[in-house]
Amino acid sequence: MYLTREQEKMLRGEYGWSTAKAMEIIIKVGEALGAEELVSIAHAHVSGISYSTIGKYGLEFIRDVALGGGRARVFTTVNPGCIDYSGFSKIIDNSLLEYQKLIDKSLGEMGFKLVYTCIPYFYRPPIPGEHLAWGESSAVIFANSIYGGFTNREGGPVALAASLTGFTYKAGLHLLENRVGRVEIKLHASVSLIPISTVGLWIGEKIKTTPYIRDLRGVPLEDVKNILASAAASGNHALVIIEGLTPRGTFKLELTDKVEIEAKMLEDYVGEECSGSSILGYLGCPHTSPRELLLVTRLVRKYGKPVKGKLLVTIPAEYVRIYRDLVLELRARGVDIAAGTCPVVSRFKEKFDCVLTNSGKALFYLKRIHGMRVKLAGVEEIVKKLSNL
Amino acid sequence: MSKNSLIYRGEVRAVIPGQCRGELVLVDSYISFFGEVSPDHGCLTTLENRCFSNKVLVFRGTRGSTVAPYIIYALRRSNTAPVCILVAEVEPMLIAGCVLAEIPLFVIKNYEELIRNIRDITSSVYLEVRGSELLLYKEL
Repeated sequence: MYLTREQEKMLRGEYGWSTAKAMEIIIKVGEALGAEELVSIAHAHVSGISYSTIGKYGLEFIRDVALGGGRARVFTTVNPGCIDYSGFSKIIDNSLLEYQKLIDKSLGEMGFKLVYTCIPYFYRPPIPGEHLAWGESSAVIFANSIYGGFTNREGGPVALAASLTGFTYKAGLHLLENRVGRVEIKLHASVSLIPISTVGLWIGEKIKTTPYIRDLRGVPLEDVKNILASAAASGNHALVIIEGLTPRGTFKLELTDKVEIEAKMLEDYVGEECSGSSILGYLGCPHTSPRELLLVTRLVRKYGKPVKGKLLVTIPAEYVRIYRDLVLELRARGVDIAAGTCPVVSRFKEKFDCVLTNSGKALFYLKRIHGMRVKLAGVEEIVKKLSNL
Repeated sequence: MSKNSLIYRGEVRAVIPGQCRGELVLVDSYISFFGEVSPDHGCLTTLENRCFSNKVLVFRGTRGSTVAPYIIYALRRSNTAPVCILVAEVEPMLIAGCVLAEIPLFVIKNYEELIRNIRDITSSVYLEVRGSELLLYKEL
């Protein structure tokens, strides 16, 4: 692989142990993928920072890198941790606080912006064609598909390594020639009758090349976010080209296949029946946008407090300050707010019979991680079902 | 026939070269290391706890969370890692995990053919990689 003089110095250890190790990881991954050179990045987003998911060995790795002198060379944000950073939540278990704090301390020492969110584009929306090194599968697919940013699904350690060097390998989705839509997907009108996340779960499982979706006009961006996050969870998609949304010039089309998705094809992805005395309604996977937070507030005003179960909403840590009024109103109306975390990367304090959520990604992971029964529903349906109406 | 009889000869591409020899654990699907693998035990939690610790793990490819490299790294640190990994499709996340955990990684050139050849075998199957050659043996 061709390296510049600066990159060679990094690899030789002239910038310290951590930068050398980081460069070694990037070069090895790049060489395995056939990259001929590295590319400088504008923004790294580091996933895998929750103690609940990476455990003691992940903690040790991050701590070693920070102690070895690793410092961010580009703007770097971090994914959710395993504790509620607002201290408000009665549902999220904060018992791993002591360990999470050690990870957070190391991340802070490396100069990362501690946003604790899976929607880093809220802080810095990518520019079309800009090279990024993002972890967090739902953020990667959103950056590529909606903003036209160029990033692979970097594993947590690679995004970390890219932050410390300012470079990543030039392969995969960093090259326009690999951003090619092959399968045209149309949605049949009947799909509107079924929770929209199922479309993503279906695409993730059934489509193995880059999809090109038509007819998403009129679908709110929050629903598109859910489709994308679900496709990145049940499959390995990092780019879904969407007619009218994916910026021109950031993809090519060479369509060889066509499929129309109908509601009956999605029925198996809706989840299991959700009844019982202890139901959890869950919104905010990926974290809510400001518009979603406002929508939930309006719905809770309309239908009243959740009384037939609990309602959990997960948000980026900083929303507690920026949208203080909405957060306090939701809390006053009996909604549980957890900031800078989510149930996928944390633990529950109590046991629930089942979960009702609008997120296909949450369905995919809560079943696997917590062994819970999960059912998909629309946001309004969830708020209404939990109220007295 | 010897104690082990050769049942298939195929081809691989080394992504991370290294020693690869041992009992085969085949999972003919895509795996999310986060949520579907227990690093403490070296087992797949979604498939009746199929364990691959110190064996050769073969599967189609990875899916899901980008936490995967940390899970693979934890497998190594917990001494529950597979001897090597062979897949039909490779992606950056899996490579990063195997680089960190120093697990040899190979791409099988004709995965479907390999699957067809071992579909009906009920006894243990052993796999060995020699250069770019993949050899499968059946225990007699």
